[in-house]
Amino acid sequence: MIELAGVSKHFDGKRKVVALDTVDLRVERGEMVAIVGPSGSGKSTLLNLIGGLDRPTAGEVRIDGVSLAGLNDDSISRVRRDKIGFIFQFFNLLPTLSCLENVGLPLHLRGWSSQRVNERSRELLNLVQLSHRLEHLPEELSGGERQRVAIARALSIYPPILLADEPTGNLDTRTGAEILALIHDLHARLGSTVLVVTHDMTVAASCTRTVSLLDGRVAEDRRQ
Amino acid sequence: MNKFGIVLALSAGLIQAQDAREIVTEVQRRARAESQRYEGSLRVIDSGGRVTDKSWQYDRLGSHGNSKAILRFTSPPEVRGVKLLVLNHPDRASDQWMWTPALARERRIALQDRSTRFFGTDFSFEDLEERDVEHYDYRLLGQETLEGHLCWRLEARPRKGKSSQYTRSLLWVRQDIYVFVQVENFVDNQLARRLKYGDFERVAGIWTGRRLEMHDVRRNSRTILTFDKLDYNLPMQEETFTLQALRRGL
Amino acid sequence: MKLFRLLSWQYVRKHKLRSVLTLSGITLGVAIFVGMHTVNQSVLSAFQHTVDRVAGATELEISAGEPGFEEEVLERVQAEPCVSAAAPIIEAIVDTGSPGQGSLLVLAVDMTGDRSLREYDLESGESAIIDDPLVFLAQPDSIMVSRQFAQRNGLRIGSGLALETMEGPKRFTVRGIMRTGGLASAYGGSLAVMDIYAAQLVFGRGRRFDRIDVGADAGIGPEKCRERLEALLGPGFKVEPPSARGQYFASMSQAFAISISFASVFALLIGIFIIYNSFSIAVSHRRAEIGILRSMGATRGQIRNLFLAESAVAGVIGSAIGVGAGILLARGMITYTSTYLRDLYGTAQRAETVTTDPPLMLCGWFMGLLASLAGGWLPARSASRVDPVKALQKGKYQLLSAGENRARRLAAFALGCISAACLLLSSSPWAFYTGYVLAVLAALLLSPALALWLARALRPVLRWLRPVEGALAADSLIQAPRRTSATVAALMLSLALAVGFAGVARASYRSIHGWIDVALNPDLFVTASPRITARSFRFEPEVETRLRAVAGVREVQAVRTPRVLLGDTPVLLVAVDIGRLIRTSRREPLEGDGDTAYRLAAEGKGAIISDNLALLRGLKKGDTIELAAPLGVLRLPVLGSLVEYSDQQGSILIDRSLYTRYWGDTSVNTFRVYLEPGAAEAAVRQSILEGFAGERRVFVLTNREVRSYILDLTDQWFGLTYVQLAVAVLVAILGIVNTLTVSIIDRRRELGVLQAVGAVRRQIRNTIWLEAVSIGVVGLLLGLALGALNLYFSVEMVRQDIAGIRLTYAYPWLTAAVLIPVILGAAWLSALGPAESAVRGSLSEALEYE
Repeated sequence: MIELAGVSKHFDGKRKVVALDTVDLRVERGEMVAIVGPSGSGKSTLLNLIGGLDRPTAGEVRIDGVSLAGLNDDSISRVRRDKIGFIFQFFNLLPTLSCLENVGLPLHLRGWSSQRVNERSRELLNLVQLSHRLEHLPEELSGGERQRVAIARALSIYPPILLADEPTGNLDTRTGAEILALIHDLHARLGSTVLVVTHDMTVAASCTRTVSLLDGRVAEDRRQ
Repeated sequence: MNKFGIVLALSAGLIQAQDAREIVTEVQRRARAESQRYEGSLRVIDSGGRVTDKSWQYDRLGSHGNSKAILRFTSPPEVRGVKLLVLNHPDRASDQWMWTPALARERRIALQDRSTRFFGTDFSFEDLEERDVEHYDYRLLGQETLEGHLCWRLEARPRKGKSSQYTRSLLWVRQDIYVFVQVENFVDNQLARRLKYGDFERVAGIWTGRRLEMHDVRRNSRTILTFDKLDYNLPMQEETFTLQALRRGL
Repeated sequence: MKLFRLLSWQYVRKHKLRSVLTLSGITLGVAIFVGMHTVNQSVLSAFQHTVDRVAGATELEISAGEPGFEEEVLERVQAEPCVSAAAPIIEAIVDTGSPGQGSLLVLAVDMTGDRSLREYDLESGESAIIDDPLVFLAQPDSIMVSRQFAQRNGLRIGSGLALETMEGPKRFTVRGIMRTGGLASAYGGSLAVMDIYAAQLVFGRGRRFDRIDVGADAGIGPEKCRERLEALLGPGFKVEPPSARGQYFASMSQAFAISISFASVFALLIGIFIIYNSFSIAVSHRRAEIGILRSMGATRGQIRNLFLAESAVAGVIGSAIGVGAGILLARGMITYTSTYLRDLYGTAQRAETVTTDPPLMLCGWFMGLLASLAGGWLPARSASRVDPVKALQKGKYQLLSAGENRARRLAAFALGCISAACLLLSSSPWAFYTGYVLAVLAALLLSPALALWLARALRPVLRWLRPVEGALAADSLIQAPRRTSATVAALMLSLALAVGFAGVARASYRSIHGWIDVALNPDLFVTASPRITARSFRFEPEVETRLRAVAGVREVQAVRTPRVLLGDTPVLLVAVDIGRLIRTSRREPLEGDGDTAYRLAAEGKGAIISDNLALLRGLKKGDTIELAAPLGVLRLPVLGSLVEYSDQQGSILIDRSLYTRYWGDTSVNTFRVYLEPGAAEAAVRQSILEGFAGERRVFVLTNREVRSYILDLTDQWFGLTYVQLAVAVLVAILGIVNTLTVSIIDRRRELGVLQAVGAVRRQIRNTIWLEAVSIGVVGLLLGLALGALNLYFSVEMVRQDIAGIRLTYAYPWLTAAVLIPVILGAAWLSALGPAESAVRGSLSEALEYE
């Protein structure tokens, strides 16, 4: 369960930017929510705040009832490590590591044994249908394949929450559709809460709930 | 054994009854002379059979325990002109100086270890010292015939407080003429050196062995010293036996 | 560890060159640390080894400083009942004349009494020499040499060996060859033994000994015996175990040890900087990776530890290589250093092999590890603070926050204040060095802000030069101060060091020149050795009369310069006829009235000391110095001090009559000869040489030769410094290459865009060149400024701790002027590679980078 209560985020530069303005949002376990809105409406900021990568200027973010505001950086990191998987538009794979190693990275961070990491990584790459690409480097893969590796990595800990920032934004339509299907499939199979930031209306349409942001505020919250 | 021998043997028994020390004292008494001069030649034969020769002229003034002596090396050529001045003192170790002509100066021989061999011979410096009778305890062990002469066999042990490299010595003294014939020096019951006297001759009334052979048993090397032109009681000047004289080249 | 294997190792593999450079930073630091200290220790231990070998069974050594003492002392020592053996010694170092063999230590002993202290282990068949020293002693040309020396020179029994003597080169006859090991291994095996009385003649020692070696009576023991001998001989004599000489050597060469330590610390600092620089670059290089790891839940601690582990591994490996390289370095330097120290201090040691000291090696290794961790600490910390959001947004730099900047400025200000307070309020060395370190730290903290400020100031200039490229270059610096600040700081520090060193060197040379001009103004120096620092040979005083008689000679001054002990440290005593000296080369004392000081000194009523002695020992005018001489204790008031470079540990000028009286030594080291006006130097020199030809050993050095010899020694002393300078500047340049590489990687998109909108390659190139030169300019400005401060500290350090020499503070403008084109040129050169790679990079790749 994700709860945002009166969350605001300002950026102080030469020009003060209000990225989010007193946003209240509650996402139940197992929901699949699309977050849409024009550029600069605060979609990514929202995701970063939920993932604990950033802290709100005001308000409170609660994950499974625990307020992130009261936690120090290390505790937030641990929350992230245990509960949250990130999927990025630009995949963010480490170019020097093989698919298997990329997927296993979060597990290593948790201190798993090499053997366990290996088993789990293979299992996940199987799940995203990349069992034939285990030892390949990211640069040897197509865009869709790279995103599938990234998804496998995000799922490696079977996180209760999956945050995806424009997961199909960097892919052609056909591949995008494949990835979207994969995310749906996994959502159905694993029952994670999924938040997808997207421009793509087909992506949004496939979700059970769509939250539209405009100028840092929730303009519309629609359940299908 | 002739009559003369028996008499000597009897008198020997008598002396033993009195004091073994007196034999040694008598030997020294008979050897006493105001001065001595000889030309010595020294031959060292080491265990490998290698032979080195040296010769010197020897002058001594004064009698036992208080004498002065000069040794002038005459050969081999490398050491010709080197002189050794020895001043013996009755109460302490002798003073020795060496004159080297090439440096035109004398040096004091700082002898700290009397067991040091005397310039490569089988004699140690101690062997060449004039021994004071008083520094030893004597015991007459018996008599035996050595080289055809009847001798007393004595044992000498250094008295307490008198240092020596040897723990004891055996002395053979010819009973007829009161001279040492043989001396055996022991270190911890091991024979270290044996000195034999030979070619006895009576010069100016003094019986002297003109041939000395020292055998270093441990190194198996021997040194033979022979006296030529030996003479006693020649007139000599006191001034000759001084450092000044050494420097003047006398 | 798993992370380390996965991430760090991959990075290392991908950036081999940079990794090698990182390692080499630590390797260099550790190698210099281990190498220099090993050399110093090896020379010390070679000296000690020689002392030990020569000492044999000696338990005590009786000495009276370099002048030695009269022969009669021997008899007094021998008469002391606690002495079981006493043997006189003369030691001299002579040139063999055979090429490549260098010098020979001649140990002169009295063979008739020496064996109780030393074993002369002769080759079989030659033992007769030991047992029968008669021939050996009767022939003063007799010499025994070590097997090693004999083999090197092809000598056999009976061979001739030419050695320099007071009577000129003289042929000696080898009459014994000592077996290898034991005594024969002293002085690196270049040992000869001869008769002491022959040596007195050959080395012009008169009837004097250098030393008496003593064996104590076993019943009394060396400690008791030492007390008795000290009581017997009085304070003019030192009675000490042989090991004490090592301490004197150590205290004499202290300045060398300090400069070695300084070089080592400096090298390690350079190592820290290289690590810091490389890791800073690695961190900015790997920001995306850090962001990804953070988004996956890596804690700050995990990130920091990852980088610390990398620096630890770099430290462990780099240090290990460094230790090995240090030993190699030591091997390369050992002979040179040993000879140099012998020239400088006139000590008997010949170090050819390096003694490895495991604790030292371990210490060097550990210091390398620490240095690496220290260098990696800040980058690791900044890695842990990488903002994951920004790191994941491509093409955005992380700016130094205003708060951080302010905090730094405050800290710098505070440190600056403490530093100033340290210097003003206390004169203790602790306060001084704390002040030094704090001042440098303050400068380091301020450098990012100053660099930013300077970059802003440079922007209009660059724009004016090249409107587009200039502005882009300046903006790159302004926008990413974090990227450039490490390089700027490194450049600043190395330039500051350069300025400091150059300033000290220049001031030293100037000061030494000034001293030479007045103090060493005779036209000719007549010495018994080809070098004026060599001390094995001395003249008898009669030579003076003969020199005076030479046509064209106006004035002759006899100088005796022995090393004597003041307290426990050897200093140089300069004994000369002061009344005559001041007529030709009078220098005003630094304090007090010159006329009175010189008059009293000439009357033997006081001493004039060198400025460095005054500083090092805290002596001032009116204090009393106490010199224990063999013939009594000499107490003299300090009449004044002079700038004087004769000895690093200080020198004392007294009238020669006083010296002769208290030391009973009339011998002479050097005659200062002044010529009649118009007399030809070459002609007089020739007639002196001819006058003594074939009779004695005489060297006539012209003023020019002595001067260049002293300057040579000074050059060698500073030689090390110049190498350090070159290394520092090189390292700084390496930093520029690194920075530019990262800058280009960071800006690949920007550069791609530039090309896409029509910038030609030349313009891209110019941008990068300008950026490099700007870094150079900023570094130069900061470095030359910090140099002014560093020079102040360096001058103070030389004065207080190294040589006690007062140097005048003078900014080395010439060096600064030379550094400007050097650094700018180097910056430009270092930009060539990165610029080309930026230009050649494929356009589409650059734009697609994200």
